Amino acid sequence: MAVKSSLDLQSDPRAIIGIREFDVPRELVFAAWTDPKHLAQWWGPNGFATTTSRFEFRPGGVWRFVMHGPDGRDYQNRIVFDEIVPPERIVYRHDGGEDVEPVRFSQTVVFEDLGGRTRMTWRGVFPSATERDRVIKEYGAGEGLVQTMARLGDYVAAQG
Amino acid sequence: MNLDASFSALADPTRRAILARLALGETSVMELAKPFDMSLPAVSKHLKVLERAGLITRGREAQFRPCRIEPKALKGIDDWLENYRRFFEESFDRLDAYLKVLQAKSPKARGKNHGRKK
Repeated sequence: MAVKSSLDLQSDPRAIIGIREFDVPRELVFAAWTDPKHLAQWWGPNGFATTTSRFEFRPGGVWRFVMHGPDGRDYQNRIVFDEIVPPERIVYRHDGGEDVEPVRFSQTVVFEDLGGRTRMTWRGVFPSATERDRVIKEYGAGEGLVQTMARLGDYVAAQG
Repeated sequence: MNLDASFSALADPTRRAILARLALGETSVMELAKPFDMSLPAVSKHLKVLERAGLITRGREAQFRPCRIEPKALKGIDDWLENYRRFFEESFDRLDAYLKVLQAKSPKARGKNHGRKK
C-alpha cells in the first residue's frame, strides 16, 4: 500500500512539508476547509475541539477560534487568509498578536486532483525574519533540520 | 523564550551545523570555525544570532568564551515541532474520516439509485 501521509523537514530548510492523500474528489477536500461547521469536525489533534468566533473566508479575511485541549487548556488562535483559489490552493498565516499563541508562520495548502482522489500538500514556512534572510542563504549540502533536531532531541533528553 | 527567533536562527545551515557540533559538548569559537570555510568574525556573527535566539550561551572569560547549547530553548522548539507533527497527523486523520462521511451524504455519491424525481 502506498504511503498516505508523510512529513518532510529535509528538502527545504525553511519549511516543513506534509503530504497527504484522500480517497475523495478535490472539491470535497477543499470544501472541508471553507466552513467553520466542517472545520469543527476535524481541525486539531485528537481530543481537541474548536470554537469559531469569526470566519471570513476571503483573501485578507480573519479566522478567529479557540482550540480546547484535552487537558482543559484553551489555545487562542488567529489566522489570516492571504490567498484562496478554489479548489486548488489556500494560503494562510498564524499571525500572533494579542493573546494568541506566540509563533508566526505561513501555511500553504495545495490540493491536487488525482482523478477522483486528492493529494494535499501542507507547507509551513517560518517566520517573517526567515523570509528576509532567504536571499543570503545557502541551500542543500548542509545537514538537514530533521537530523539536527534528532541529535538535539537526544541531547535534551540526556539533560533530563 | 522566543520561538520566532529560534526558528529564524535555525533556518541557516551553518547555524544548524554549529548547534549540532555544540550538542557534542561546549567549545571555543576557534574550534567551531575549523570545519567551515569562514572567517572568525563570520562565525562570531552566527554565534550572536544563536545567542540572541537563546539557543546558546557563552562564557564570560575574555579570550576563551566557550559556547554551549541552551537545553531549555531547544526543548521549546522540540515541543513545538512535536505539536506540529501531531496536528498534521491527527487532524488529517480526522479530516479523512470526516470526508468519507461528507461523501456518503453528498448527492453525487448517492448515485443513480436515488435519481431526481421528475
